[in-house]
Amino acid sequence: MFKHLFKLIWNKKKQNFLLMSEMLFSFLVLFAVFSLLVYYYNNYKKPIGISYQNVWVVSYNNALQTKNTDSLNTYYETLRNNIKAMPEVKEISFCSDNVPFSANTWTGLAGYNNHNYSNVNMYNAEDSYLKTLNAQLLEGRWFNKSDVATKIPPVVINNELREKLFGKGEAIGKIIDESDDGKNKKRVVGVIQAIKAKGDYAAAGDAVYHRTDTGSFRSLGKIMVQVVPGANAAFEARLYKTLANYMKDSNVEIEHLVNKRKDINYFTLVPMIVLSIVGCFLVINVALGLFGVLWYNINKRRGEIGLRRAVGATGSSVSNQLIMESMILATFSLIIGSFFAVQFPLLNVFDLSAGIYLVAILFSIIFIYLLVFLCSLYPGRQAAAIYPAVALHEE
Amino acid sequence: MLKNYFKIAIAVLRRRKFFTFISLFGISFTLTILLVLTAFIDKIAGDSYPDRKRDRSLYISRMQEINKTGGQSSGPLSYYFLSHYAGSLKTPVKVGISSIFSGTNTYVNNKKIAVNYKYTNDAYWDIMEYDFIEGKAFNKQQVDNADKVVIISEDMKQQYFGDVPSVVGKYFEADNVKYRVTGVVKNVPITSYMTYGDIYLPYTVSKTDYRKDKGYRGGFFGVLLANSKADLPRMHDEYQSMVARLPMESKEFDKIFSHADPYIVSYVDTGNEKSSGVMIVLTTIGIFALLVMMLPTLNLVNINITRIMERSSEIGVRKAFGASSGTLVYQFIVENIILTLLGGFIGVILSFVAIQVLNGMNLIPNLVLSINFTVLAIGLLICFLFGLISGVYPAWRMSKLNVVTALKAS
Repeated sequence: MFKHLFKLIWNKKKQNFLLMSEMLFSFLVLFAVFSLLVYYYNNYKKPIGISYQNVWVVSYNNALQTKNTDSLNTYYETLRNNIKAMPEVKEISFCSDNVPFSANTWTGLAGYNNHNYSNVNMYNAEDSYLKTLNAQLLEGRWFNKSDVATKIPPVVINNELREKLFGKGEAIGKIIDESDDGKNKKRVVGVIQAIKAKGDYAAAGDAVYHRTDTGSFRSLGKIMVQVVPGANAAFEARLYKTLANYMKDSNVEIEHLVNKRKDINYFTLVPMIVLSIVGCFLVINVALGLFGVLWYNINKRRGEIGLRRAVGATGSSVSNQLIMESMILATFSLIIGSFFAVQFPLLNVFDLSAGIYLVAILFSIIFIYLLVFLCSLYPGRQAAAIYPAVALHEE
Repeated sequence: MLKNYFKIAIAVLRRRKFFTFISLFGISFTLTILLVLTAFIDKIAGDSYPDRKRDRSLYISRMQEINKTGGQSSGPLSYYFLSHYAGSLKTPVKVGISSIFSGTNTYVNNKKIAVNYKYTNDAYWDIMEYDFIEGKAFNKQQVDNADKVVIISEDMKQQYFGDVPSVVGKYFEADNVKYRVTGVVKNVPITSYMTYGDIYLPYTVSKTDYRKDKGYRGGFFGVLLANSKADLPRMHDEYQSMVARLPMESKEFDKIFSHADPYIVSYVDTGNEKSSGVMIVLTTIGIFALLVMMLPTLNLVNINITRIMERSSEIGVRKAFGASSGTLVYQFIVENIILTLLGGFIGVILSFVAIQVLNGMNLIPNLVLSINFTVLAIGLLICFLFGLISGVYPAWRMSKLNVVTALKAS
């Protein structure tokens, strides 16, 4: 049966070559779109790691120019007390300017046992950071006052980095290194659930949190404020006045994490929507084309089909044959297409996990088969309805 | 002759309506996607509001410093660098300096308004040609005196003052400081990031004193204006040699790169000496356009072949009466181009609709897409290419038909 079908396909190789290249191209386009969608969905499934609904971010710059660390600390501690004194404020935390959902990124190295990973997000955080963001602690503890005078500075890492550095092993108490010469040692005291700091659809990435120390206020630029639910614009205006009056030399801006999340998601969603629309249009295009060509082919082969019917083939076996033919064509192009697509996980392009590519390949294959099947269904049915007498008479 | 081809083409189109529909659908949708993309690029790269003197300006947007261990850091420049070093060049007539916009809030009747502010020097307003709806720009005197004056955008006027005829002379409060409004300008979309802002302030009223900071890097862009277009290469080279002579900021760095480039090059500058932003953008657009065009083209080729084979009897007859292969190929390609142009026409109409919808959605505030002559010309060119590519192979197949078989097939 198959051998016979191959022969039929081989006899019309020129025409089939074009059909196949069309299927191949649509497979590649679908593969690209599906890879992206699967990647986004994978990230979307993971918990965001914080509760951002009632957190506001205050940005300020160079509020105080002083060389004296003590007066610097006094200045900001006073500001902290002023803000915390407001009844609407639950918790506040000064931090580096790479707050969740912002475009700022600080990256560095982190390594253990001579396995160094670059592109690790570096955060400076206070003791109140965890509570302000309601992040989840998975192991160990967050920073506290006892960390002030330790010889090796403490760090907290997220579970993504923990996985990479220690696998299933113990992480708490281990010494990691933030440079490649072993001079920047840090002790892991806790592991938190990774925070998706670049929005719902982006990967959380690895992260290391450092505790702020006495001179840190020089380099911090953001305050995260957790407010009570229902804190309104009137309170916000009051908070703004307080901040702007206290930090006379600074530009102050208050943003809500809720809105920042919306904005940063927008940046991932728009390309996704555009690509999906383009992908959809291409698929419709291909479907129509396939349909047209198959339909035409069947009309051209009326004689052949009439003859088969005359010697006793049933209608369904005729339509099955035609569907099988196009499925075999699709299989050819899918084999070639998969050969190209498999290079992506093999060569580790774009640093995505192999699983994402494989799922995308699988989806694209299913999709193309379905498409070809649906497109050849109707022409096949038409072929089955041919009366042998009529077809042979035409010849 | 062409008239005849045209008649035949229309007759063939009406013969198999389903095929005609597939072809037209493919062409028109492809064209729509490409036209919207072109309109977008044209708006971002070609719309010269407010910097209408683009053809004789060079832009400085970034500096990259490379340290001895191979690490690098890059970013915009400091006010000091632009005024002191770029300002010392001979060729530029004027050096416009403006900060990157950044955000603050203002509260009107307990309603929060997000404000993006931008600091500029006075030369910036001489170089740029913002459309003033009312009032005018601040002048050198006001900048030097550090007067608390502000130029606001139409949008900001609407949000802050509401529907009032004139706001010049009124006070606008931002960052807890009251500024007197001297002018209102037409909106700039955020995609023109070097000139965008909701409010524009003299750099001297900024809370940080930019004149004290002697570092090279900060938060400013520069625009160098030359006397004429012919001076651009000289200005570019002069800037380059000035950068080459710069003393290093500290011992850890051993190389400094910074360029004064035409707008587009500067717009997509990655801040990295090794990867050219222009190349990245072109490759991305190229691959995208190729993919979007490739599939419909293959589709058209497929459909065209089936259609041609349907007409084998006609071809046989014409060949039998002495028509050469060349004539037939020519005829078929012309027919195909007529078809693609028809699809193109539908595509243009669809693009108009799509662009209206996109503008209505207001995805990017103040970015109003439009189809102009450039975009249309590009669309026409795409159509033409489309028709040619998808017509050549089927026509070649057809011309090789044997007369006898062609006649027998009917």
